Amino acid sequence: MSIKDRLRNAAKGSIGPADNDSRFLLDVHSRALPGRQTMQQYDDDDEVDLAIVGAGAGGSVLAQRLARKGWRIVVIEAGPFWDPDKDWVSDEAGSHGLYWTGKRIIGGADPIELGKNNSGHGVGGSMVHYAGYTPRFHPSDLETFTRDGVGADWPIRYEDLLPHYERVERELPVSGQNWPWGHPHSYPFSPHPVSEAANVVWRGAEQLGIGMRVGPVGIVNGTFGNRPHCIYRGYCLQGCKVNAKASPLVTHLPDALAHSVEIRSDCMAARIELDESGRARGVVYLSEPGGAERLQRAKFVAVAGYSIETPRLLLASTSARFPHGLCNDHDVVGRYVMVQGATQTAGRWPEELRMYKAPPPQVSSEDYYETDTSRGFARGFSIQTVSPLPIGWAEHVLADGHWGRAMREYMRDYNHWATVGVLNELLAHPDNRITLADEVDAYGLPVARMDYSLTENDKANEAYSTKVITDILKAGGAQDVLTIHRYAHLIGGARMGSSPGTSVVDANQRSWAVPNLFLADGSVCPTQGSANPALTIMALASRLAERMADGSAMSDDPEQRAGPFRARQPVG
Amino acid sequence: MPSRSDDNAIDKDPIDKDPIDKGPIDKDKGEHLPHLRADGAPPRPSWLPRQRRGITPQMIGRYPDYDVLENADTWDEMTRGVVLARLDPPGPLRFFEPSEEATLRAFCDVTTGQDEDPRVPVAESVDAKLADGKLDGFQYADMPDDRDTWHLVLAGLDESAHERFRTGFGQCRLDEQEQLVRDFAAGRLSGGSWNELNVSRAWSVCMRAILSGFYSHPWAWNEIGFGGPAYPRGYMRTGALNTTEPSESRGATQEDPVGTVRRESEEFPG
Repeated sequence: MSIKDRLRNAAKGSIGPADNDSRFLLDVHSRALPGRQTMQQYDDDDEVDLAIVGAGAGGSVLAQRLARKGWRIVVIEAGPFWDPDKDWVSDEAGSHGLYWTGKRIIGGADPIELGKNNSGHGVGGSMVHYAGYTPRFHPSDLETFTRDGVGADWPIRYEDLLPHYERVERELPVSGQNWPWGHPHSYPFSPHPVSEAANVVWRGAEQLGIGMRVGPVGIVNGTFGNRPHCIYRGYCLQGCKVNAKASPLVTHLPDALAHSVEIRSDCMAARIELDESGRARGVVYLSEPGGAERLQRAKFVAVAGYSIETPRLLLASTSARFPHGLCNDHDVVGRYVMVQGATQTAGRWPEELRMYKAPPPQVSSEDYYETDTSRGFARGFSIQTVSPLPIGWAEHVLADGHWGRAMREYMRDYNHWATVGVLNELLAHPDNRITLADEVDAYGLPVARMDYSLTENDKANEAYSTKVITDILKAGGAQDVLTIHRYAHLIGGARMGSSPGTSVVDANQRSWAVPNLFLADGSVCPTQGSANPALTIMALASRLAERMADGSAMSDDPEQRAGPFRARQPVG
Repeated sequence: MPSRSDDNAIDKDPIDKDPIDKGPIDKDKGEHLPHLRADGAPPRPSWLPRQRRGITPQMIGRYPDYDVLENADTWDEMTRGVVLARLDPPGPLRFFEPSEEATLRAFCDVTTGQDEDPRVPVAESVDAKLADGKLDGFQYADMPDDRDTWHLVLAGLDESAHERFRTGFGQCRLDEQEQLVRDFAAGRLSGGSWNELNVSRAWSVCMRAILSGFYSHPWAWNEIGFGGPAYPRGYMRTGALNTTEPSESRGATQEDPVGTVRRESEEFPG
């Protein structure tokens, strides 16, 4: 262990980020952001320094960082500005408003269910309802083509993200055991206690020689400024009413508001408008369905709408110069969108485990993360415990083929089950893509269509990983198992790369086609690894902010744009 | 109709003849779980204790002395409002036509195994979701809008029931309804309205709404022993096996209560 690691371990739980006061700007007695009352407001015609579309993981970090550098920023967000005390409930069905439920069309051979599964709506984005796992990508994720001949290489290296991973982990803050996988590291907070539902999975893994670790989760263990300790109520996916779980709403936006950022909520971006010289003038948006179009003028525009809405906005921004959509000269916008295989298997024990108590994310393994050619497929998967609440559990039971009285019988047995899931690295494919459908939404904007088809490699990965988690449960003594095959997370759709013909943005996340337009979300990722994407999206935005602040992101030097790691991808 | 009711009386529940049910079911061995039973089917609900406290669907469950609603005063106000509103007497259907009601109710009953009162009002929950347009945010490319899917599914069930049993789905015997639903779940129904749908996907569209309606209801939480909302109170006993919160109660067992009380008084005198 290096001296730096020893210091990090010794300081666990005691050191917060130096340049983000969000944890002190929250109210102890109420969850609404105090800064909202005094929030800066800009006029549409006031040319701000930066207009950001989307107040999620990417947009919020970018806003917070650059606001601290004195940038005048407006964030345009389609959903509401939450007051968690009033708007959120400890209830599955009652949390419908947290999800992007505007219509989207899903097609392809393996259509991906959206909505509550993977799509956020409102200030804080999808992290408001993510489980809380915050693993880093592995160094190998950024060079899968060089190493394994699949996917694509990133134009940047793991070392470029590393300082931002560490910084964001201090801000969330992440708690977990020392991490032996990928680039080994420790976490700023110690691991949470583990419930019996996770213990039985852990013991099964131990029997098979599979290493498990507690965490990593963006959930406060201890207290953190004015954010309290987790109370283990289990409703992480319904929005944390406690303020213990990290989302941009509590980790970055309080500080952003204190530095004069305006969050313009309930406003739907319609298109990016260009001036005669081909630069973005600002963002055209609607503050209500059927309302008049407004244009927020800005020197720079960053789109952070995530893997469906970012391509949708670019594709809808047509002009004489870009008849097929903004930045889409080479038909790359919307392509290479990815999801992760997220099969879950539950096991049954004679004792009551009551998996609804404690946060759903508890223990995980990355033993199977990288390629092992003996498994018969490229790349791998991670293993993580999860804990469905009753409706989620009913969907799990149904997926195993039980309805009516059989379903009721399995449902009544709820307290005896523990659930473990996988995240398969599904490979990027050009035909997995976002396009515009013929239908329009309430704003009159064309809705997105997402097509998805699994490759043979994807199917082999899913089948192998399902057997591993089933074996873990059986080794741990499970009497019966139930399996649901499903998909989670979104990433890609407007990837970064080293040349304009094969990517939408350069190594600085600046679009190849419009000089003052950046993408600041998960859509830029060329691959996804087997890690939950939230932490990496924040780290990328943190890196982007650093480079926008010092001007290096605006560099026209071809070497700078191509990036430190010359991206390669399969030809054709 | 009257003659069919007589049929119902004669053969109310074919599972009653289940040859598997011999002697008490050992819950610890999972003998009640369909996968572990020779016929792959659940046992008769009669193996379950009757609910003694609070309400469960059909007054059966595994936690006869547990009522999650007794904790409602510890929930935050917004959550309490949302959950308790589900106990209000259901109003008339707003989305579905009166002509669809019998099929809708029968379909919701069969898919959730509800054969007598008290019932969780699943049909009303589905109706409200569709009437309010609270859809799920995605539509399969080879499917109509979810609202149209529901109309087509109910029409399809009726058409298939007429074809096989010469009566509407709502008037079929339970085993006939179950046979049709089994074929629906397996994507095996075709013809008429079914041809306008991808049948397997239509099953998932319908069941998403039905399961959400059933398992969002606190009576269903009582049945399964779910602790329910816990904010601001939280859960504190997450560690060792069989550790319960003060507000939770253990599941029923087959042990002899007299022996247990005697043993505990010897082990923990005073």
